[in-house]
Amino acid sequence: MQRTAKHLRSGLTAYLMIAPMVILLGIFVFWPLIYSIYLSMHRISFYKDPAFVGFDFYKYVLTDPNFWDTMLTGLKYALFVVPTGIVIALIVATFLKNLNGRPASIMKTTVYVPTVVSSVVASIIFLFIYQDEGLANWFMGFLGVEAVNWLNSPGLALPAIAVPGVWLGLGISTLILLAAMHDIPANYYEAAALDGASAWQRMRYITLPNLKNVLLYLFVTGFTLAIQEFQLPLIMTNGGPVNATTTPNLFIFRSFRDNTEYATSFSLAASLLLFVALGLISLLIFKLVKSDKALDS
Amino acid sequence: MQKPTVTKVLSAVFMVVIAFTALFPLAWMAIAGFKGRDEVLRSPFQFFPDVWRWQNYVEIAQDEAFSKAMVVTFAGAAIFTVCSLLVNSMAAYAFARLDFVGKQFWWVYCIMPMFIPMMAILLTSFVVVVELGMLNTMAVLIIPGVASSFQMFFLRQFYLNYPLAVEEAALVDGASRWKIYTTIFLPQSKAPFVVVGIASFLAYWNSYVWPVLTITDPDLMQIMQLLGTFRSDRGNDWGMLMAGSTLAALPTIVLVLIFQRYIVNGVRIAGMK
Repeated sequence: MQRTAKHLRSGLTAYLMIAPMVILLGIFVFWPLIYSIYLSMHRISFYKDPAFVGFDFYKYVLTDPNFWDTMLTGLKYALFVVPTGIVIALIVATFLKNLNGRPASIMKTTVYVPTVVSSVVASIIFLFIYQDEGLANWFMGFLGVEAVNWLNSPGLALPAIAVPGVWLGLGISTLILLAAMHDIPANYYEAAALDGASAWQRMRYITLPNLKNVLLYLFVTGFTLAIQEFQLPLIMTNGGPVNATTTPNLFIFRSFRDNTEYATSFSLAASLLLFVALGLISLLIFKLVKSDKALDS
Repeated sequence: MQKPTVTKVLSAVFMVVIAFTALFPLAWMAIAGFKGRDEVLRSPFQFFPDVWRWQNYVEIAQDEAFSKAMVVTFAGAAIFTVCSLLVNSMAAYAFARLDFVGKQFWWVYCIMPMFIPMMAILLTSFVVVVELGMLNTMAVLIIPGVASSFQMFFLRQFYLNYPLAVEEAALVDGASRWKIYTTIFLPQSKAPFVVVGIASFLAYWNSYVWPVLTITDPDLMQIMQLLGTFRSDRGNDWGMLMAGSTLAALPTIVLVLIFQRYIVNGVRIAGMK
């Protein structure tokens, strides 16, 4: 009897403790999500009751060439940002691993600093750098190349936006890789040193294989985040020139504000499709790797 | 004898290159803040101003809208951080230490938002806060983001690793679970609180899209929102814009420098999960 009473009381405490979180998530995450799904399946008009249309809007999205163009843009952006970011982070982490004491902690803090800078500030800095008389064009002149209109040329705008993208993400990937490198047993390297392995061989045969899972994690999360980027293009180019920097989320964000009748349902269907697609892809990749690991052992 | 010196020099060079890559854009922003209107984008190009002038910094700091936005955003971020630490650590403790009916279900419920992208719920969250009459209040900036799956998950990992013995002793002494949470776990949570607290503070301080959607009252303007509108209104006054951006970025950078030790360790903890 007493045991049950105590059990009930402990259950009550637990519920009271999770209640604030559960309620807040319910109001500001789950209800909006359900509402998004509902709206994406209804034709909303100012004058009539919402009419159920099933997956019609999803069909429109999937057959809209504009949507596929933005997907391609998002993909290109991710391909500019993610591999570059990971390679630089790998190089920096390899170097930082060999530092000790004060220089090590100073360098770790230094590489982390850009991570805390907001996309707005980063956009403003790089807008300034890309001005006609700005730093980027001074550098081009230094190399003897003609000045370029960075953010107004369709071919250059996207890579130009990718630069702050890489810069902002560098710190966290470096620190994650560094932490993973410290977990690789030191005797692997000692044995390799005895065998006279070169720095590149140590990288190729010890570091990289041992970092496989972390690298994959960084690649998948980096990719899903990069393809969803929209604040940098929103502030730097507003999607232009001629939609060259309209990433999927910027496209969705702009159609929210569109006044055409079904824009809301259309853009919600697009955002949910993107969510499901990215979720499935990351799930698939992680599943594949898990089974791979199981085979190893 | 020769080789170590070479490695040392190389290592020093490499350190400078890395520091330069990480910090140069920020330094460039701060330097531009010292330049006059006519020299900030002058050709021929020059790195440093002819005369280092504080004028831009002084002017932007004295701008009423700007200083108000800094204060209001700082206050909001502080309240936001405290609320989210409380809400998320309470749930984290319950999930780490207590047994209750339906625990599995609520666990999935609390973790799932981690996988829901902001864009899928942005518009409908806006509709919800409109319905709740929250537009143009501090509440709309603070409350919707307080519950965070990431933060709760991180804190739960920490609590799971915390030794059981202390707690069992307290239970034998007849302490309630609530008392154990407030007198044992909260005081022990300093290190993880610093890590997730900084993350909360930064998330609030740096947010742009949500304030743009929900705040039109000039008295409640958030700092990043203000910088964004400043850019479109007075986009050609680069020296001033750079001075403003520098001041707006300063609190976040100072925060990192103060708590650097915790952040680097925090990445290690998160990496181990």
